[in-house]
Amino acid sequence: MKQNMLTKFMQATSGDEDVRVRKIECGISVTVVCMDTMSDDGKVSSYVLQPLAYINEATGLTDIYTRLMAGATCTKVTSLEKALENYSNGHTIVFDDDGNAVSVDTRTSLVRAIAEPPTSMVLRGPREGFVEDVKINITLLRKRLKTPDFKYVNISVGKYTNTAVSVCYIDSVADKAVVDDIIQRISAIKTDGIMDSSYIARYLDKNKTLLFRRVGITEKPDIAVAKMLEGRVAIIVDGSPMVLTLPYLFMEDIQSPGDYYENSTMTALSRTLRFISVLASLLLPALYVCLQVYNYQIIPIKFLITLMNASESIPFSPLSEMLLVLIIFDILREANLRMPSAVGISLSLVGAIVLGDAAVKAGLLGAPAVMIGALSGIGLFTLPDNTLVLSLLRLLLTFIGGTMGLLGVTLAMMAVIFYLASLQSNKSPFLAPYAPAVPQDLQDGLMQDPVPSMKKRPRSISNKNKTRRG
Amino acid sequence: MSKDRISINQYALMYLLLIAGGKFLNLPSILAADVGHDSWLTIAFSFVWDAVCLVFLLWAIKINKDSQLDLSAILSKTVGKVVSKIVLVIFFVMFVVRTNILLAACYKMFAVTFDVSTNWIVFVLPVVALSVLTLKLGFTSVARASQLLFGIIFICVVSLLFSPIAQVEFGSLLPIGEAGWGKIFSTSFLRSFWFTDYVFIYLLLDNVKVKNKVFSPVLTAFAVGAVLTVAMNAIFVALYGSLASQFDLAMSKIGVHFVSNSSNGRWDWLTLSVWLISVFIKIVVFFYCAYKCLEKIFEFNSDKINFWAVGAITLLYMLPMFISTEIALNTVVQYGLLVFALVQYVLPIAMPFLTKAAQIKTAAEKGEQPQKASADKVKEKIGV
Repeated sequence: MKQNMLTKFMQATSGDEDVRVRKIECGISVTVVCMDTMSDDGKVSSYVLQPLAYINEATGLTDIYTRLMAGATCTKVTSLEKALENYSNGHTIVFDDDGNAVSVDTRTSLVRAIAEPPTSMVLRGPREGFVEDVKINITLLRKRLKTPDFKYVNISVGKYTNTAVSVCYIDSVADKAVVDDIIQRISAIKTDGIMDSSYIARYLDKNKTLLFRRVGITEKPDIAVAKMLEGRVAIIVDGSPMVLTLPYLFMEDIQSPGDYYENSTMTALSRTLRFISVLASLLLPALYVCLQVYNYQIIPIKFLITLMNASESIPFSPLSEMLLVLIIFDILREANLRMPSAVGISLSLVGAIVLGDAAVKAGLLGAPAVMIGALSGIGLFTLPDNTLVLSLLRLLLTFIGGTMGLLGVTLAMMAVIFYLASLQSNKSPFLAPYAPAVPQDLQDGLMQDPVPSMKKRPRSISNKNKTRRG
Repeated sequence: MSKDRISINQYALMYLLLIAGGKFLNLPSILAADVGHDSWLTIAFSFVWDAVCLVFLLWAIKINKDSQLDLSAILSKTVGKVVSKIVLVIFFVMFVVRTNILLAACYKMFAVTFDVSTNWIVFVLPVVALSVLTLKLGFTSVARASQLLFGIIFICVVSLLFSPIAQVEFGSLLPIGEAGWGKIFSTSFLRSFWFTDYVFIYLLLDNVKVKNKVFSPVLTAFAVGAVLTVAMNAIFVALYGSLASQFDLAMSKIGVHFVSNSSNGRWDWLTLSVWLISVFIKIVVFFYCAYKCLEKIFEFNSDKINFWAVGAITLLYMLPMFISTEIALNTVVQYGLLVFALVQYVLPIAMPFLTKAAQIKTAAEKGEQPQKASADKVKEKIGV
């Protein structure tokens, strides 16, 4: 039967162009198999071939295993599936004639250098970012968590991709029930392949969120560690620099990586500004339309005269005008994301000058509408992770504002708040610490207490140990 | 026990919003027509009755802490299933009529203040849609949203209320008791439909999470709500004097004083829209309670939204299209006042005793079953 493992292995890999097989006599006859593209030639040579060449009187594979252990990461392989999985990952498999096998880690390291992530630039604070290799990413976490309490569980996901997924947590802080639930849900994933951590995020979203995601994403190890220290679980997916964190609260969107390295008063000010700008981005276009169409009395008279002068020759209704501005802005943003960076700059110029200025000069769009659209568009980027969702909501609210006035906007905002208030992320209420109110967690809400004052871990996050120190 | 559970603090804040949501529309003008400048005294007396009943109801919640029985279970176990259903029907009618009055007043405010072209259907259907969404999302979402929005609503209400303070002639509230104390007392009973907002807690008895304090958060919220309402009424009556009974949208009228000069824009309208959130929350809560009544009366599956129940409530919400608020109110006062008073004033006082009795009965029922089982085992053993 064991003989069959080698035979079956050879049958399974028979069509591969990059399979390399060598038979070596070292006291016993062994077959060395590796994948040319995934294995590092140097490692295969120094960890497997050279040692085997020096061993003349090996008594068996166990003997070879013991001697190879000295230089490399070796594991005994007992099943064909494991042998194939390791082989696919770049390991070199050494078979004896009886079909026993040893797997030697000879993976080639195809990783980029650790650099500052483009999505989380900071003025102050660490500039390291995660890379696409799960091992390096765990090392980046380990570097900051020098404790035996740091644990991780590896799970292989994807029928064809066999992607390594690591669930990381701090044993004495994280709630075991949450960790087990996450592990169970990842283990239950049945799919052909995982390309990125966002695939896993979709599977982890239990109730399939309609709009807002309930899984945190970070590219920075310091942020991941800070979240783990609060009781959250970090999920690293091989091939993705985006590390997932759970549970996730809406407030985390308002928080920025640099907040914790700044003065707490400045942080409070920045967070309040971010919150106001998001609210303004959502509501400004809707209010602009509904005030123009239904409730112009709210607008101060001088401002109203300016508005009327600017929009009297516009051929569109205020609603169509604003929707046009917002859609143009969304198209520009979408195109900008997909353009190479050099062309992107030209596109921004075209968008700003040709579409904005020319449309106003041609009398197609009013300058106030363009200004409000632009202000609203910029404001959305204060919450970069939710720009698309907020953009969609903004369009909806504008439409409702134009058709139903203040009543519609009020009811629509209430519906959004009710919806957000009903969401949970792994036992944590999504709008905590404000809905429900968790007074203790306000230490890191819109206002932020100085770091030394934060003696307790957040109550909104399920964890075993509520005290940070003392 | 309901899965949809709210904390006592959330209940307290929601209760405060409910007080602020309903009484700032046309109640001041109705009371001004009834008792003139003594209307604030009528409100104060109404709140005294409310406070007494609230204390009893909170006591019932405290007793119900561990057993988490719902209203239907408590009544069925103590006064029988038929009476329980009759009480639920009374509650259902009460919630629908109260919402009707609120909807009509709110619609009028929108039509008069914001947009004359607002259509009744266009006004009611989105409100019903929001209420149905709440059924889908769970009551917790309303409770949490109330907590989130409380601050901004409170600021808007206070700033609206106290904006005309400089122009108010408080001397016009004198002499106190001019309308006659008897009339002041009787009006507080006749207009009870505008008060007793605590009734929604009946339908949430099994939703409230009770830990330590029950009385202090709710009574504090109640006191704040009562003070605001009395103050609002006093300011309104002092501001408009004998004309107060003519202005049936008090908050809107008070808002006129929010800005010194109309060329600065009517910012009070934005403030009013924020305050209106509390009115909508009240409508949503009453819709939820009306739905719960139907759920208990017809005993349908609580996991899915019942289309017929929602349809029935929506149709009943359309009633103000055909009946004016005054007619609805007068009809209620004429025919239903005593019946509604039973659930508004008598039932709360009986609730702690009924809850205790229901608990004893439940414990006895639970106690019987194991005994019965062990008796069966003994019978089996001896081969009987």
